[in-house]
Amino acid sequence: MSTKATTTNPEDALTDARKLRKRALGFALDWAIVYYFLHASMYLYLVFWGSQTIRGWNWYKNDPYTAFFNPLRLPSWGWWLILFGTLGVVVLIRTFGRSLGQRAFGLSLQARSGSVNLVKRCIRILVWPMGVILAPIQLAIPALRHGVFTHGLLHDRISGTSIRHYVHPSGTPYKRFWKTQWGIVAVALLSLTLFLGWIIIDADLGILIGRVDEARNVFLEIVHPDFTHFTTPDPIFYQRAYPQMFSIVNLMLLTVLMALAATILGAAFAFPLSFLGARNLMCQSRIGWWIYSVTRGFFNLFRSIETLIWVIVFAVWIGYGNPFAGVMALVIHTIAALGKLYSEQVEGIDSGPMEAILACGGSKLQVIRYAVIPQIIPSFLAFTLYRWDINVRMATIIALVGGGGIGDLLFHYRRTGDWAQVGAVVIAMVVVVWTLDYISGRVREKIA
Amino acid sequence: MSEPYLIIEGLTKVYERGQVVALKDVSFSVDKGEFLVIIGLSGSGKSTLLRCINRLVEPTAGHIFVNGVDVTTLSSGQMRKMRRKMGMIFQHFNLINRSTVLTNVLSGRLGYTPTWRSLLGLFSRTDREMAFRNLKRVGLEDKAYARADELSGGQQQRVGIARALMQDPDLLLTDEPVSALDPATSHSVMQYLEQMNREDGVTVLASLHFLSLARRYGTRILALKDGEIVFDGLPTEIDEKKFREIYGEEAEEVEVR
Repeated sequence: MSTKATTTNPEDALTDARKLRKRALGFALDWAIVYYFLHASMYLYLVFWGSQTIRGWNWYKNDPYTAFFNPLRLPSWGWWLILFGTLGVVVLIRTFGRSLGQRAFGLSLQARSGSVNLVKRCIRILVWPMGVILAPIQLAIPALRHGVFTHGLLHDRISGTSIRHYVHPSGTPYKRFWKTQWGIVAVALLSLTLFLGWIIIDADLGILIGRVDEARNVFLEIVHPDFTHFTTPDPIFYQRAYPQMFSIVNLMLLTVLMALAATILGAAFAFPLSFLGARNLMCQSRIGWWIYSVTRGFFNLFRSIETLIWVIVFAVWIGYGNPFAGVMALVIHTIAALGKLYSEQVEGIDSGPMEAILACGGSKLQVIRYAVIPQIIPSFLAFTLYRWDINVRMATIIALVGGGGIGDLLFHYRRTGDWAQVGAVVIAMVVVVWTLDYISGRVREKIA
Repeated sequence: MSEPYLIIEGLTKVYERGQVVALKDVSFSVDKGEFLVIIGLSGSGKSTLLRCINRLVEPTAGHIFVNGVDVTTLSSGQMRKMRRKMGMIFQHFNLINRSTVLTNVLSGRLGYTPTWRSLLGLFSRTDREMAFRNLKRVGLEDKAYARADELSGGQQQRVGIARALMQDPDLLLTDEPVSALDPATSHSVMQYLEQMNREDGVTVLASLHFLSLARRYGTRILALKDGEIVFDGLPTEIDEKKFREIYGEEAEEVEVR
């Protein structure tokens, strides 16, 4: 009977190293939470009641940003107090059985026989430092190492308790999240962080009200748009590296075309690459695994660099304000983003048809053509349309760093303080983006 | 008939994850023209056995001779050629749902079609004619341009049969062809398989769940339990005692009429 019970424990499927790692990570999480609360409360104490001044400057009160990220000014023994204090608190919390760190990794403190009582808890707290100090020695000596995994560390053995996989007793109901330890601590962490953030970033609602008059003038001008250059080209572009005359309508069309070209080009590259980045197609051989990893790595790397940063690169390379630079940046980001989305779709397909094509004597390419592509075409189209949406919105602002498009006019008028013209450009942008958004949304609904 | 058509010697399959032994040293042989039914509980290794024969699953040890050729030693290119003559029919049909019935049936011809032509979807006139002939044979010629997922389960399985017929197979591997179908449809599908076996001389290996179907259609029955052969003989030889041996003490026979 007992053997059966142990085999159903998922803990046993794990290797010993992973068990220890789970314990260590749970401990680290507990410690991080405790330390965060301590640091935050000491910081808040110093901000509100501290009177330490350096050359007449109380930097906790006057410079809260620097004060939070610089070490707390403590007496020399203070750091030792924090170190051992938090450590002690963490050990104490963990001895009570189900700390947050233990819960996060599905562990709990269990007695090897009987229940975890006060005596065992006290022994565990007392012997804990010794057990941890001796743990590296236990692990280093092969003869003792086996004992560590079967009987636990020193404090486990002496106190007769161990941290093991937690199995929720059947029949007992689960609590609502906000009534659990996690719920309470999560709410506390969130509100504390919001409060700290408020102080550190020096948020001041007074500014919003105090400067309302200045803002009102600008807003009034924006909502009375000046459509002078709506269809009549504005000559400002003569002075630029890309000397042509554009009206708002010209540039809006150009922007939509930029987005369209970038999406088509990006999708054309992403489509074949997505098969190389699909685990289920590639990971049957070692070389396939390498291709998969490189492709996925490329997707992730190029996607994590935002389009605006790619624009900076291509604006230098191709020319500041040249729409081609913007298109190139959009293409690069589109390939990476669509490639990843496509690959995930390929990974999610039903493998049955692939099996059927293979069983007919089909080759790898035939499997892709007949079993994979028919399954993914609708979602590919939906993703591509969605990406076009994103690209149109992106194309309206890439001019900020030299990518060309409607943003060129927008930022020019903003620089010259011509708010009425800014209003006209913004209205044109909103209308176009909203329309395309609506159309692509409807089309996507139809496809999916 | 000096040598059997299919010889399996010491076939073993161990799935690496979790070290599950699906087949343990299985050996048997099948003559040309036999209708061999494989029975056994779920997880007894029926599907693995069938998939080892066309190497959709790579055997861990053992040899499989099809028509004198050891398929376990073939390169992937040679294996593709070999698979052309082995039809396969699946429990869940494995059709390409979004494609037409015709495309599904034609895909049975992929092994014979040059890759570049098939990538463009160009099948030869003879292939197309053959496809219509086979659709007619399974009674679906009027559904040729319907989408595969618009058909009923029985119709889908008949498309699967037509696809296998396109291969002009010598050996047909059918993995629980009727377990997703209702009893009446099951018989119609089984009758197509029987027809292929009797009229075209195709050797059929079919895994089935219902013993009544196995008795009705099989010329020989092979029973697997935990990856080992526990019975190999004529359908009439399976009595109550044998049945309990294969399916366990608790089992009771369910009949499909």
